[in-house]
Amino acid sequence: MKLPRGVLQRQRVVADLATPLSNALDAELTGYARLESQDALLLAADGVGVLTFDAGVPAVAYHTGTDAGGPAALADLAVAGPYRIELFELEQAALEQVHEAGDLRVPPGMPAERLAGDPDLADRTRAAAPARAVGTDEGVPGADEPGAVEAFLDDEAKIAAIRERARDEAQRRAAEWGFEDVSRGDAGR
Amino acid sequence: MTPQHHRSMVEVFAVASGKGGTGKTTSTLALGMALATDYDVTVVDADTGMANLLFHADLADVETTLHDVLAGSAPVASAVYDRFGMQVVPCGTSLAGFRDADPARLREVVATLAADTDVILLDSAAALGSRAAVLPIVLADRVVVVLQPTIPSLSDGLKVQEYASTYETDVAGIVFNRVRDDEAIAAIAEKASRYFDGPTLATVPESDAARAARRAGEPLLAHAPDSPAADAFREAAGAIDVGAGDSDAVADRFRSAVVPEEP
Repeated sequence: MKLPRGVLQRQRVVADLATPLSNALDAELTGYARLESQDALLLAADGVGVLTFDAGVPAVAYHTGTDAGGPAALADLAVAGPYRIELFELEQAALEQVHEAGDLRVPPGMPAERLAGDPDLADRTRAAAPARAVGTDEGVPGADEPGAVEAFLDDEAKIAAIRERARDEAQRRAAEWGFEDVSRGDAGR
Repeated sequence: MTPQHHRSMVEVFAVASGKGGTGKTTSTLALGMALATDYDVTVVDADTGMANLLFHADLADVETTLHDVLAGSAPVASAVYDRFGMQVVPCGTSLAGFRDADPARLREVVATLAADTDVILLDSAAALGSRAAVLPIVLADRVVVVLQPTIPSLSDGLKVQEYASTYETDVAGIVFNRVRDDEAIAAIAEKASRYFDGPTLATVPESDAARAARRAGEPLLAHAPDSPAADAFREAAGAIDVGAGDSDAVADRFRSAVVPEEP
């Protein structure tokens, strides 16, 4: 997926993607978000996620590390944050060719559900979609299949990595925060 | 069954999610009301940085809250209110109240409450980013993890579980809340159960009644007791097997827990 770089609108590290998705929707951003998990441990390959927007509504998702597109790319992105996110603005014309690639399309509400876990934002995005030329969830691959959550739960290596990271973090913080007397550390693991 | 029957026992549960928006406070009060039919229940808003339980439990106008207790300016008993068949300890929302509160005092509060109740529910912070936010999980016997069937929520719920096990807190079970897709949830719950240490206590449907209850300043089980969501929370409470150690031992444990002052 080739995109011109565009004009950088925002750049920040966030723990939760609800805010940037909501900002893109409210600002009716046409362009794309470049998403980089700050946790290299959770991604088998290095790489970044790209999510394009048409007037604020998500259109296409791609992951450069796993080469996954569409809903599968969202599953690769939907690991625990934080993320470094950059929002770029582009001319509509620069996105047209990319948006014709059917296998990369995501249903408008899916990024809010899968990446941010925010059903209200998903509803708001879907409500905005028909008027903004991206279409509805119908007919888009993966629109109605809950497969991404199940696929996530089937990925034992990814789950194990999330748990291991959380365990390391909890043990490190137990020491920092003076909870070590009630922490069993590695014992019993 | 009378509350007196259980007087010798107390069990402390943290209700946690790792992520906002899962309906954790709604869940805490719903579980509390459901458990209150069999037990003497005390609910504490332990989310001292972003308190909202008071808005759910008709306590928005009270003078004394957990903030005052944690600041050392009021005894615990003065922040305990009888509401909806439970004792409720709300937290205040002012920045000054938060600034003056010493979260480490929470263990003393729980120890004091433990002497005179069967079940303590600690409504925990939505994130695990600070010592104060993690403290309820450290102090609890068991944690109830409130999830939505989404990848971020499951991921954060697993994180809560790992924190809990690091602090020797068990998982009482998981509750799927705000569920919209009835068909998908069975498969998701089945797969999730492989990773969570406790059982799936219930699947609670997304509900307009929960929103209406919050607007009305009432717990869901008081506002819409016959709603499917209320039924599901009663089912969840029924699936929790209450009954840990005796209250003296719990009180001692909290008093002796090493929780240093803020640096």
